[in-house]
Amino acid sequence: MARLDDDMLVCRCEEVTVGEIREAIAQGAFDVVGVKRRTRAGMGLCQGRTCEKLVQQIISQELGVGPHETGSSSVRPPVRPISYGALAEGEF
Amino acid sequence: MKSYDVIVIGGGMMGTASAYYLTQEGMKVCLIERDDIAFGTVSHTDGYIGASEKEPGVDSMQGMASMKLYDEMRKTFDYDFEYSTNENGDPIGFVYFCESEFEMEMAKKQVAENQKLGIEQYMVSVQELRELEPNCATDLLGGMWVPKDAAVCPFKVPFAFVQEARKTGLLDVMTRTEVVDIIQDPNTKAVQGVVTDKGETINAPNIVNACGCWAPFIGAMVGMEIPIEPRFGQLTITEKAGKITQNRLCMEYGYFLTKFFHDGEGERPIPDLVKAYNVCLNITSDLTGNTVIGGCRLFRGFSIKSEYKIMQACAMRGIRFFPMVKDLNCIRAFGGIRPFCLDQLPIVSDVEEVPGFFMAAGHEGDGITLGPITGKLISQYVTGKPLEFELAHEIAWSRFKNKDIAALKAKEEANTRALQEIERKILARL
Repeated sequence: MARLDDDMLVCRCEEVTVGEIREAIAQGAFDVVGVKRRTRAGMGLCQGRTCEKLVQQIISQELGVGPHETGSSSVRPPVRPISYGALAEGEF
Repeated sequence: MKSYDVIVIGGGMMGTASAYYLTQEGMKVCLIERDDIAFGTVSHTDGYIGASEKEPGVDSMQGMASMKLYDEMRKTFDYDFEYSTNENGDPIGFVYFCESEFEMEMAKKQVAENQKLGIEQYMVSVQELRELEPNCATDLLGGMWVPKDAAVCPFKVPFAFVQEARKTGLLDVMTRTEVVDIIQDPNTKAVQGVVTDKGETINAPNIVNACGCWAPFIGAMVGMEIPIEPRFGQLTITEKAGKITQNRLCMEYGYFLTKFFHDGEGERPIPDLVKAYNVCLNITSDLTGNTVIGGCRLFRGFSIKSEYKIMQACAMRGIRFFPMVKDLNCIRAFGGIRPFCLDQLPIVSDVEEVPGFFMAAGHEGDGITLGPITGKLISQYVTGKPLEFELAHEIAWSRFKNKDIAALKAKEEANTRALQEIERKILARL
Protein backbone atom coordinates (compact mmCIF):
# COMPACT_ATOMS: atom_id res chain seq x y z
CA MET A 1 0.00 0.00 0.00
CA ALA A 2 1.25 3.49 -0.85
CA ARG A 3 2.33 5.64 2.09
CA LEU A 4 -0.53 7.93 3.12
CA ASP A 5 -0.03 11.70 3.39
CA ASP A 6 0.30 13.01 6.94
CA ASP A 7 -2.47 15.56 6.47
CA MET A 8 -5.09 13.05 5.31
CA LEU A 9 -8.11 12.80 7.64
CA VAL A 10 -8.60 9.32 9.07
CA CYS A 11 -11.26 9.80 11.74
CA ARG A 12 -13.79 12.25 10.36
CA CYS A 13 -15.91 12.38 13.53
CA GLU A 14 -13.00 13.59 15.66
CA GLU A 15 -10.92 15.09 12.82
CA VAL A 16 -7.78 13.05 13.37
CA THR A 17 -5.12 12.93 10.65
CA VAL A 18 -2.65 10.26 9.53
CA GLY A 19 0.17 12.41 10.93
CA GLU A 20 -1.42 12.55 14.39
CA ILE A 21 -1.81 8.78 14.39
CA ARG A 22 1.83 8.30 13.38
CA GLU A 23 2.84 10.66 16.20
CA ALA A 24 0.77 8.60 18.69
CA ILE A 25 2.54 5.44 17.51
CA ALA A 26 5.90 7.19 17.92
CA GLN A 27 4.83 8.05 21.48
CA GLY A 28 4.26 4.37 22.26
CA ALA A 29 0.81 3.39 20.97
CA PHE A 30 0.89 -0.15 19.59
CA ASP A 31 -2.79 -0.89 18.97
CA VAL A 32 -6.15 0.65 18.06
CA VAL A 33 -7.06 1.37 21.69
CA GLY A 34 -3.71 3.06 22.36
CA VAL A 35 -4.11 5.25 19.26
CA LYS A 36 -7.67 6.06 20.29
CA ARG A 37 -6.69 7.23 23.79
CA ARG A 38 -3.85 9.37 22.47
CA THR A 39 -5.71 10.95 19.52
CA ARG A 40 -9.48 10.38 20.02
CA ALA A 41 -9.62 8.51 16.67
CA GLY A 42 -12.74 6.33 16.94
CA MET A 43 -14.31 8.21 19.86
CA GLY A 44 -16.90 10.09 17.80
CA LEU A 45 -20.41 9.54 16.56
CA CYS A 46 -19.59 6.49 14.42
CA GLN A 47 -17.40 4.93 17.14
CA GLY A 48 -14.68 3.95 14.70
CA ARG A 49 -16.92 2.09 12.28
CA THR A 50 -15.32 3.95 9.39
CA CYS A 51 -11.77 4.64 10.54
CA GLU A 52 -10.78 1.58 12.54
CA LYS A 53 -9.63 -0.39 9.49
CA LEU A 54 -7.51 2.53 8.38
CA VAL A 55 -6.02 2.99 11.85
CA GLN A 56 -5.15 -0.71 11.85
CA GLN A 57 -3.43 -0.33 8.48
CA ILE A 58 -1.36 2.63 9.68
CA ILE A 59 -0.27 0.78 12.84
CA SER A 60 0.55 -2.26 10.73
CA GLN A 61 2.71 -0.13 8.37
CA GLU A 62 4.46 1.88 11.08
CA LEU A 63 5.30 -1.05 13.35
CA GLY A 64 5.72 -3.73 10.70
CA VAL A 65 3.21 -6.04 12.36
CA GLY A 66 0.38 -8.06 10.86
CA PRO A 67 -3.10 -6.48 10.81
CA HIS A 68 -4.36 -9.05 13.33
CA GLU A 69 -1.81 -7.76 15.86
CA THR A 70 -3.20 -4.21 15.83
CA GLY A 71 -6.26 -5.00 17.96
CA SER A 72 -9.64 -3.36 17.79
CA SER A 73 -11.71 -1.06 19.96
CA SER A 74 -13.63 -2.66 22.86
CA VAL A 75 -17.15 -3.75 21.91
CA ARG A 76 -19.58 -1.50 23.76
CA PRO A 77 -23.29 -0.72 23.45
CA PRO A 78 -25.32 0.84 21.95
CA VAL A 79 -25.15 -0.78 18.52
CA ARG A 80 -26.21 2.53 17.02
CA PRO A 81 -26.92 5.92 18.62
CA ILE A 82 -30.15 5.86 20.62
CA SER A 83 -31.89 8.76 22.37
CA TYR A 84 -31.78 8.87 26.16
CA GLY A 85 -35.57 9.15 26.08
CA ALA A 86 -35.82 5.79 24.33
CA LEU A 87 -33.17 4.31 26.62
CA ALA A 88 -35.05 5.43 29.75
CA GLU A 89 -38.19 3.75 28.39
CA GLY A 90 -36.25 0.53 27.99
CA GLU A 91 -36.52 0.56 24.20
CA PHE A 92 -33.41 -1.38 23.31
CA MET B 1 21.51 -6.41 33.56
CA LYS B 2 19.36 -3.28 33.85
CA SER B 3 19.45 -1.32 37.10
CA TYR B 4 17.38 1.59 38.30
CA ASP B 5 16.80 3.59 41.47
CA VAL B 6 13.09 2.76 41.39
CA ILE B 7 10.80 0.35 39.55
CA VAL B 8 7.21 1.58 39.36
CA ILE B 9 4.70 -1.17 38.55
CA GLY B 10 1.54 0.11 36.86
CA GLY B 11 1.18 2.72 34.10
CA GLY B 12 -2.07 4.30 35.29
CA MET B 13 -2.65 7.47 37.26
CA MET B 14 -0.69 6.51 40.38
CA GLY B 15 2.20 4.86 38.56
CA THR B 16 2.80 7.67 36.07
CA ALA B 17 2.41 10.34 38.79
CA SER B 18 4.92 8.50 40.99
CA ALA B 19 7.32 8.10 38.06
CA TYR B 20 7.05 11.80 37.24
CA TYR B 21 7.70 13.09 40.78
CA LEU B 22 10.52 10.55 41.29
CA THR B 23 12.31 11.76 38.15
CA GLN B 24 11.94 15.33 39.44
CA GLU B 25 13.98 14.16 42.46
CA GLY B 26 16.70 12.87 40.15
CA MET B 27 15.75 9.21 40.47
CA LYS B 28 16.30 6.82 37.58
CA VAL B 29 12.94 5.13 37.07
CA CYS B 30 11.68 2.11 35.15
CA LEU B 31 7.91 2.14 34.66
CA ILE B 32 6.54 -1.33 33.93
CA GLU B 33 3.00 -1.74 32.61
CA ARG B 34 1.24 -4.96 31.63
CA ASP B 35 -0.72 -3.32 28.77
CA ASP B 36 -0.33 0.33 27.75
CA ILE B 37 -0.13 3.67 29.57
CA ALA B 38 -3.58 4.78 30.81
CA PHE B 39 -5.05 1.37 30.10
CA GLY B 40 -7.08 0.46 33.18
CA THR B 41 -9.27 2.45 35.53
CA VAL B 42 -8.04 5.88 34.42
CA SER B 43 -9.48 5.42 30.93
CA HIS B 44 -12.89 4.28 32.22
CA THR B 45 -13.94 7.27 34.27
CA ASP B 46 -14.98 10.92 34.24
CA GLY B 47 -12.36 13.60 34.86
CA TYR B 48 -13.61 15.35 37.98
CA ILE B 49 -10.91 16.77 40.26
CA GLY B 50 -11.55 18.53 43.54
CA ALA B 51 -11.88 18.39 47.27
CA SER B 52 -15.64 18.35 47.78
CA GLU B 53 -16.49 14.86 46.57
CA LYS B 54 -14.89 13.32 49.63
CA GLU B 55 -15.60 12.83 53.28
CA PRO B 56 -14.51 15.88 55.26
CA GLY B 57 -11.15 15.17 56.89
CA VAL B 58 -8.07 13.40 55.53
CA ASP B 59 -9.99 12.57 52.37
CA SER B 60 -10.88 16.15 51.45
CA MET B 61 -7.50 17.48 52.70
CA GLN B 62 -5.73 15.18 50.23
CA GLY B 63 -8.00 16.57 47.54
CA MET B 64 -7.01 20.13 48.38
CA ALA B 65 -3.30 19.28 48.39
CA SER B 66 -3.64 17.59 45.00
CA MET B 67 -5.56 20.50 43.50
CA LYS B 68 -2.58 22.76 44.28
CA LEU B 69 -0.32 20.37 42.36
CA TYR B 70 -2.76 20.28 39.41
CA ASP B 71 -2.59 24.05 39.37
CA GLU B 72 1.22 23.87 39.00
CA MET B 73 0.96 21.15 36.37
CA ARG B 74 -1.43 23.04 34.13
CA LYS B 75 0.91 26.02 34.17
CA THR B 76 4.16 24.14 33.57
CA PHE B 77 3.34 21.03 31.49
CA ASP B 78 3.63 21.19 27.70
CA TYR B 79 1.20 18.30 27.31
CA ASP B 80 -2.39 19.57 27.34
CA PHE B 81 -4.51 17.38 29.62
CA GLU B 82 -7.61 19.58 29.16
CA TYR B 83 -7.76 21.24 32.56
CA SER B 84 -10.98 23.20 32.21
CA THR B 85 -11.10 26.86 33.18
CA ASN B 86 -13.37 29.84 32.60
CA GLU B 87 -12.39 33.00 30.69
CA ASN B 88 -10.43 34.23 33.75
CA GLY B 89 -8.37 31.07 33.85
CA ASP B 90 -10.12 29.85 37.01
CA PRO B 91 -11.60 26.39 37.57
CA ILE B 92 -15.23 26.15 36.48
CA GLY B 93 -16.76 24.55 39.53
CA PHE B 94 -19.00 21.78 40.63
CA VAL B 95 -22.70 21.75 41.49
CA TYR B 96 -24.61 19.23 43.63
CA PHE B 97 -28.40 18.92 43.44
CA CYS B 98 -30.61 18.16 46.42
CA GLU B 99 -34.05 16.75 45.77
CA SER B 100 -35.25 16.13 49.34
CA GLU B 101 -35.15 17.85 52.72
CA PHE B 102 -33.04 14.95 53.98
CA GLU B 103 -30.40 15.69 51.34
CA MET B 104 -30.53 19.43 52.11
CA GLU B 105 -29.84 18.69 55.78
CA MET B 106 -26.95 16.33 54.95
CA ALA B 107 -25.52 18.90 52.52
CA LYS B 108 -25.65 21.72 55.08
CA LYS B 109 -23.63 19.62 57.53
CA GLN B 110 -21.07 18.80 54.85
CA VAL B 111 -20.71 22.43 53.79
CA ALA B 112 -20.12 23.48 57.41
CA GLU B 113 -17.44 20.81 57.90
CA ASN B 114 -15.64 21.49 54.63
CA GLN B 115 -15.69 25.27 55.19
CA LYS B 116 -13.89 24.66 58.51
CA LEU B 117 -11.19 22.82 56.53
CA GLY B 118 -10.82 25.77 54.17
CA ILE B 119 -12.69 24.34 51.19
CA GLU B 120 -14.77 26.93 49.38
CA GLN B 121 -18.19 25.33 49.35
CA TYR B 122 -21.63 26.95 49.67
CA MET B 123 -25.30 26.07 49.91
CA VAL B 124 -27.29 27.56 47.02
CA SER B 125 -31.00 28.30 46.81
CA VAL B 126 -33.12 26.91 44.04
CA GLN B 127 -32.95 30.32 42.25
CA GLU B 128 -29.15 30.34 42.46
CA LEU B 129 -29.11 26.78 41.26
CA ARG B 130 -31.11 27.76 38.18
CA GLU B 131 -28.62 30.55 37.48
CA LEU B 132 -25.68 28.17 37.81
CA GLU B 133 -27.36 25.45 35.73
CA PRO B 134 -30.12 26.84 33.51
CA ASN B 135 -30.85 23.42 32.00
CA CYS B 136 -31.55 21.63 35.29
CA ALA B 137 -34.98 20.45 36.45
CA THR B 138 -37.26 23.06 38.03
CA ASP B 139 -38.47 21.06 41.04
CA LEU B 140 -35.20 20.72 42.95
CA LEU B 141 -34.85 22.11 46.48
CA GLY B 142 -31.39 23.63 46.16
CA GLY B 143 -27.86 22.40 46.25
CA MET B 144 -24.18 22.93 46.94
CA TRP B 145 -21.71 24.88 44.84
CA VAL B 146 -17.95 24.32 44.88
CA PRO B 147 -16.43 27.04 42.69
CA LYS B 148 -12.82 25.78 42.81
CA ASP B 149 -13.41 22.19 41.71
CA ALA B 150 -12.42 21.41 38.15
CA ALA B 151 -11.97 18.63 35.62
CA VAL B 152 -9.35 17.19 33.29
CA CYS B 153 -9.36 14.58 30.56
CA PRO B 154 -8.59 11.63 32.84
CA PHE B 155 -6.63 9.41 30.44
CA LYS B 156 -4.52 12.32 29.21
CA VAL B 157 -3.00 12.94 32.64
CA PRO B 158 -0.88 9.73 32.60
CA PHE B 159 0.33 10.57 29.08
CA ALA B 160 1.21 14.05 30.35
CA PHE B 161 3.16 12.65 33.32
CA VAL B 162 5.09 10.28 31.05
CA GLN B 163 5.93 12.96 28.50
CA GLU B 164 7.09 15.41 31.18
CA ALA B 165 9.08 12.73 33.02
CA ARG B 166 10.83 11.70 29.80
CA LYS B 167 12.25 15.22 29.47
CA THR B 168 14.53 14.46 32.41
CA GLY B 169 16.07 11.54 30.54
CA LEU B 170 15.59 9.47 33.69
CA LEU B 171 12.50 7.46 32.69
CA ASP B 172 12.32 4.16 30.82
CA VAL B 173 8.85 2.85 29.99
CA MET B 174 8.21 -0.85 29.38
CA THR B 175 4.66 -1.50 28.17
CA ARG B 176 3.22 -4.94 27.39
CA THR B 177 5.42 -6.26 30.17
CA GLU B 178 4.10 -8.08 33.20
CA VAL B 179 5.88 -8.45 36.52
CA VAL B 180 5.74 -12.11 37.51
CA ASP B 181 7.98 -12.05 40.58
CA ILE B 182 9.69 -9.73 43.01
CA ILE B 183 13.17 -10.57 44.23
CA GLN B 184 13.84 -10.04 47.93
CA ASP B 185 16.80 -10.44 50.25
CA PRO B 186 16.04 -13.73 52.05
CA ASN B 187 17.04 -12.30 55.41
CA THR B 188 15.93 -8.68 55.48
CA LYS B 189 13.04 -9.10 52.99
CA ALA B 190 14.29 -5.92 51.29
CA VAL B 191 13.32 -5.76 47.61
CA GLN B 192 16.07 -6.11 45.01
CA GLY B 193 14.27 -6.20 41.68
CA VAL B 194 11.59 -7.82 39.56
CA VAL B 195 11.31 -10.65 37.06
CA THR B 196 9.16 -9.98 33.98
CA ASP B 197 7.06 -12.32 31.86
CA LYS B 198 9.84 -12.11 29.25
CA GLY B 199 12.16 -13.76 31.76
CA GLU B 200 14.16 -10.58 32.23
CA THR B 201 15.43 -9.49 35.65
CA ILE B 202 15.46 -5.76 36.39
CA ASN B 203 17.20 -4.51 39.51
CA ALA B 204 16.18 -1.70 41.82
CA PRO B 205 16.30 -1.17 45.59
CA ASN B 206 12.87 0.50 45.50
CA ILE B 207 9.61 -0.81 44.02
CA VAL B 208 6.29 1.03 43.89
CA ASN B 209 3.08 -0.98 43.67
CA ALA B 210 0.72 1.29 41.70
CA CYS B 211 -1.55 -1.40 40.28
CA GLY B 212 -4.93 -0.18 41.51
CA CYS B 213 -7.46 -3.02 41.45
CA TRP B 214 -4.62 -5.41 40.64
CA ALA B 215 -2.36 -4.23 43.51
CA PRO B 216 -3.23 -7.27 45.68
CA PHE B 217 -1.61 -9.60 43.08
CA ILE B 218 1.66 -7.65 43.21
CA GLY B 219 1.43 -7.37 47.01
CA ALA B 220 1.05 -11.14 47.32
CA MET B 221 4.50 -11.51 45.70
CA VAL B 222 6.05 -9.95 48.82
CA GLY B 223 3.67 -11.65 51.25
CA MET B 224 1.20 -8.77 51.68
CA GLU B 225 -2.53 -9.25 51.91
CA ILE B 226 -3.90 -5.98 50.49
CA PRO B 227 -7.59 -5.26 51.17
CA ILE B 228 -8.51 -3.77 47.77
CA GLU B 229 -11.47 -5.01 45.71
CA PRO B 230 -12.71 -3.91 42.28
CA ARG B 231 -15.85 -1.75 42.50
CA PHE B 232 -17.73 -1.47 39.24
CA GLY B 233 -19.03 1.72 37.65
CA GLN B 234 -20.60 2.55 34.31
CA LEU B 235 -20.90 5.76 32.30
CA THR B 236 -22.66 6.73 29.08
CA ILE B 237 -21.57 9.32 26.52
CA THR B 238 -23.75 11.61 24.42
CA GLU B 239 -23.16 12.72 20.88
CA LYS B 240 -21.53 16.16 20.60
CA ALA B 241 -24.27 18.59 21.61
CA GLY B 242 -22.44 21.48 23.29
CA LYS B 243 -22.79 22.46 26.92
CA ILE B 244 -25.61 20.75 28.75
CA THR B 245 -23.98 21.53 32.09
CA GLN B 246 -22.37 24.94 32.59
CA ASN B 247 -20.26 23.85 35.55
CA ARG B 248 -17.59 21.28 34.99
CA LEU B 249 -19.51 18.59 36.81
CA CYS B 250 -22.98 18.27 38.28
CA MET B 251 -24.00 15.56 40.64
CA GLU B 252 -26.97 14.64 42.70
CA TYR B 253 -26.34 14.79 46.42
CA GLY B 254 -27.40 11.15 46.53
CA TYR B 255 -23.87 10.44 45.25
CA PHE B 256 -22.65 10.45 48.82
CA LEU B 257 -25.34 7.96 49.76
CA THR B 258 -24.25 5.55 47.02
CA LYS B 259 -20.55 6.06 47.69
CA PHE B 260 -20.41 5.70 51.43
CA PHE B 261 -23.50 3.53 51.85
CA HIS B 262 -25.48 1.43 49.45
CA ASP B 263 -28.66 3.31 48.72
CA GLY B 264 -30.72 0.23 47.89
CA GLU B 265 -32.97 0.75 50.90
CA GLY B 266 -32.06 4.40 51.32
CA GLU B 267 -33.65 7.78 51.44
CA ARG B 268 -33.82 8.85 47.80
CA PRO B 269 -37.20 9.04 46.05
CA ILE B 270 -36.03 6.99 43.07
CA PRO B 271 -37.31 4.39 40.61
CA ASP B 272 -36.62 0.75 41.52
CA LEU B 273 -34.24 0.28 38.62
CA VAL B 274 -32.08 3.17 39.86
CA LYS B 275 -32.15 1.65 43.34
CA ALA B 276 -31.27 -1.82 42.17
CA TYR B 277 -28.12 -0.65 40.42
CA ASN B 278 -27.08 1.90 43.06
CA VAL B 279 -27.12 4.59 40.35
CA CYS B 280 -26.65 8.29 41.04
CA LEU B 281 -26.35 11.06 38.53
CA ASN B 282 -23.06 12.58 37.62
CA ILE B 283 -23.11 14.60 34.44
CA THR B 284 -20.36 16.60 32.83
CA SER B 285 -20.12 18.38 29.50
CA ASP B 286 -16.58 17.95 28.26
CA LEU B 287 -14.44 20.38 26.29
CA THR B 288 -14.98 18.04 23.34
CA GLY B 289 -18.72 18.82 23.26
CA ASN B 290 -19.72 15.37 24.49
CA THR B 291 -21.50 14.94 27.79
CA VAL B 292 -20.75 12.05 30.14
CA ILE B 293 -23.75 10.74 32.08
CA GLY B 294 -23.49 8.10 34.78
CA GLY B 295 -22.89 6.37 37.11
CA CYS B 296 -23.14 3.56 39.61
CA ARG B 297 -21.31 1.63 42.31
CA LEU B 298 -21.60 -2.15 42.28
CA PHE B 299 -19.48 -5.22 42.84
CA ARG B 300 -19.02 -7.30 39.69
CA GLY B 301 -15.61 -8.87 40.18
CA PHE B 302 -13.13 -7.78 37.50
CA SER B 303 -15.74 -7.55 34.72
CA ILE B 304 -16.01 -4.18 32.94
CA LYS B 305 -18.78 -5.27 30.61
CA SER B 306 -21.44 -2.61 29.91
CA GLU B 307 -24.94 -3.50 31.09
CA TYR B 308 -28.11 -2.35 29.29
CA LYS B 309 -30.22 -2.05 32.43
CA ILE B 310 -27.63 0.26 33.98
CA MET B 311 -27.67 2.39 30.81
CA GLN B 312 -31.42 2.62 31.23
CA ALA B 313 -31.12 3.65 34.89
CA CYS B 314 -28.47 6.27 34.00
CA ALA B 315 -30.76 7.65 31.27
CA MET B 316 -33.64 7.90 33.79
CA ARG B 317 -31.44 9.74 36.24
CA GLY B 318 -30.02 12.06 33.57
CA ILE B 319 -33.49 13.05 32.35
CA ARG B 320 -34.74 13.54 35.91
CA PHE B 321 -32.15 16.28 36.57
CA PHE B 322 -31.67 17.57 32.99
CA PRO B 323 -34.92 17.02 31.07
CA MET B 324 -33.34 18.04 27.75
CA VAL B 325 -31.13 14.93 27.91
CA LYS B 326 -34.18 12.98 26.70
CA ASP B 327 -33.58 14.13 23.12
CA LEU B 328 -29.82 13.57 23.05
CA ASN B 329 -28.31 10.45 21.54
CA CYS B 330 -26.20 8.04 23.53
CA ILE B 331 -23.19 6.84 21.48
CA ARG B 332 -21.39 4.64 23.98
CA ALA B 333 -21.60 3.10 27.42
CA PHE B 334 -18.54 1.80 29.20
CA GLY B 335 -17.90 0.01 32.44
CA GLY B 336 -14.81 0.24 34.59
CA ILE B 337 -13.55 -0.83 37.99
CA ARG B 338 -12.40 1.31 40.88
CA PRO B 339 -9.81 0.06 43.38
CA PHE B 340 -11.96 -0.01 46.51
CA CYS B 341 -9.96 -0.22 49.71
CA LEU B 342 -12.04 -1.80 52.42
CA ASP B 343 -11.67 1.13 54.84
CA GLN B 344 -12.38 3.62 52.00
CA LEU B 345 -9.02 5.39 52.10
CA PRO B 346 -6.12 4.89 49.69
CA ILE B 347 -2.87 3.21 50.71
CA VAL B 348 0.09 5.52 50.10
CA SER B 349 3.32 4.87 51.99
CA ASP B 350 6.32 2.64 52.56
CA VAL B 351 5.84 -0.87 53.93
CA GLU B 352 7.79 -1.46 57.13
CA GLU B 353 7.93 -5.25 56.80
CA VAL B 354 9.25 -5.11 53.20
CA PRO B 355 12.07 -2.53 53.00
CA GLY B 356 12.12 -0.68 49.68
CA PHE B 357 8.51 -1.55 48.84
CA PHE B 358 5.94 1.24 48.50
CA MET B 359 2.17 1.31 48.06
CA ALA B 360 0.25 3.76 45.85
CA ALA B 361 -3.16 2.17 45.32
CA GLY B 362 -6.75 1.97 46.51
CA HIS B 363 -8.08 5.40 45.47
CA GLU B 364 -11.62 4.26 44.73
CA GLY B 365 -13.37 6.94 42.70
CA ASP B 366 -10.83 9.63 43.69
CA GLY B 367 -7.81 8.62 41.65
CA ILE B 368 -8.00 11.43 39.11
CA THR B 369 -8.00 14.01 41.87
CA LEU B 370 -5.42 12.25 44.02
CA GLY B 371 -2.84 11.21 41.41
CA PRO B 372 -0.53 14.21 41.86
CA ILE B 373 -0.45 14.24 45.68
CA THR B 374 0.08 10.46 45.68
CA GLY B 375 2.98 10.71 43.24
CA LYS B 376 4.51 13.53 45.24
CA LEU B 377 4.21 11.61 48.54
CA ILE B 378 5.72 8.49 46.97
CA SER B 379 8.71 10.54 45.77
CA GLN B 380 9.16 11.85 49.32
CA TYR B 381 8.87 8.38 50.87
CA VAL B 382 11.42 6.93 48.43
CA THR B 383 13.94 9.76 48.81
CA GLY B 384 13.40 10.02 52.58
CA LYS B 385 12.47 13.68 52.36
CA PRO B 386 9.94 15.21 54.78
CA LEU B 387 6.36 14.39 53.81
CA GLU B 388 4.46 17.44 52.63
CA PHE B 389 1.08 16.13 53.79
CA GLU B 390 0.53 16.29 57.52
CA LEU B 391 -2.14 13.57 57.59
CA ALA B 392 0.03 11.11 55.61
CA HIS B 393 -0.06 8.58 58.49
CA GLU B 394 -3.83 8.24 58.05
CA ILE B 395 -3.37 6.84 54.53
CA ALA B 396 -0.28 4.76 55.32
CA TRP B 397 -0.10 0.96 55.10
CA SER B 398 0.81 0.87 58.82
CA ARG B 399 -2.83 1.59 59.70
CA PHE B 400 -3.57 -2.08 58.94
CA LYS B 401 -0.84 -3.31 61.28
CA ASN B 402 -3.06 -4.63 64.05
CA LYS B 403 -6.11 -5.18 61.88
CA ASP B 404 -7.40 -8.60 60.95
CA ILE B 405 -7.56 -8.20 57.17
CA ALA B 406 -9.20 -11.58 56.68
CA ALA B 407 -12.02 -10.47 59.02
CA LEU B 408 -12.30 -7.13 57.17
CA LYS B 409 -12.61 -9.04 53.90
CA ALA B 410 -15.18 -11.48 55.31
CA LYS B 411 -17.27 -8.55 56.52
CA GLU B 412 -17.05 -6.90 53.11
CA GLU B 413 -18.00 -10.12 51.35
CA ALA B 414 -21.06 -10.48 53.58
CA ASN B 415 -21.91 -6.85 52.81
CA THR B 416 -21.53 -7.45 49.06
CA ARG B 417 -23.79 -10.50 49.24
CA ALA B 418 -26.40 -8.45 51.09
CA LEU B 419 -26.24 -5.77 48.37
CA GLN B 420 -26.57 -8.36 45.63
CA GLU B 421 -29.60 -9.69 47.47
CA ILE B 422 -31.13 -6.19 47.48
CA GLU B 423 -30.42 -5.92 43.74
CA ARG B 424 -31.99 -9.34 43.12
CA LYS B 425 -35.09 -8.57 45.21
CA ILE B 426 -35.75 -5.22 43.56
CA LEU B 427 -35.24 -6.65 40.08
CA ALA B 428 -37.63 -9.48 40.92
CA ARG B 429 -40.28 -6.84 41.72
CA LEU B 430 -39.92 -5.14 38.33
